[in-house]
Amino acid sequence: MRGVADACFLIDWSRYRRRDLLEKLFNLILIHEETLLQLRSPPAIEYTSSLLASGLLRLYPWSSDDEKQYNKLREEVSLDPRLPSLERPDLLCLVIAHRTGSILLSENLGVLRVTQFHPLYSRVKVWTSLEVLENSVYSGLTDIDSLDEFLEIVREYEEDARHIFNKKRLDTVAKRVSEWLRR
Amino acid sequence: MKVEEWEKEDEEFKEMRRSKADWEFINAQPPHIRAALIYFIERGDRYVASRIAGLSLDEFDEIRRRAKIPVVV
Repeated sequence: MRGVADACFLIDWSRYRRRDLLEKLFNLILIHEETLLQLRSPPAIEYTSSLLASGLLRLYPWSSDDEKQYNKLREEVSLDPRLPSLERPDLLCLVIAHRTGSILLSENLGVLRVTQFHPLYSRVKVWTSLEVLENSVYSGLTDIDSLDEFLEIVREYEEDARHIFNKKRLDTVAKRVSEWLRR
Repeated sequence: MKVEEWEKEDEEFKEMRRSKADWEFINAQPPHIRAALIYFIERGDRYVASRIAGLSLDEFDEIRRRAKIPVVV
């Protein structure tokens, strides 16, 4: 599985006690140089460096065609009052995910919303840490016997990253996990 | 999802950030950090909040964690 990581995802995930799940779930994660430059804190730098050293994380070679696509997207969404502000690094990740057919790892609400309505970018699959945890169950990396065990894993993440997953999304994921457990 | 649903979601998320925040910590911060934390509570945008604070994204995030303000997604 191939992904693209944005800075907020890496900052939060680096705090998580089971962060090694990511390395087992993905074969390759792409990162833009500007995303890397956003990371300064020791936990995020140490974690990201270890991923780069292992070869799982790789700098994406940005091209002039990518820049053209970014400029078009920026024109389409930057002045859209429906969206939270979207900055250049957020949009770069979305462009990379679209061009490479990768899963975008992001905790950015604006990015999630673009993929809910944009005709081109609605094809991009976005995973927050919640979907990473969910898919770690399906792939056998996280062993659970009940929904409560899964929700406990989610709670651990929320505690480590100081996150709250909104109830609607959590209910949707919990329903899918329950169905998977019944199979 | 409709715009009205997004607006409702924004209000819910804002209230969650506001209610969990450590206001004593926030009010004890220098003005630019306090302003950045309050902006984050209102809008949930770490990038812009970090620019207000004059910090990198994850330097701001460290302060957000200490202020007990959750990221809500």
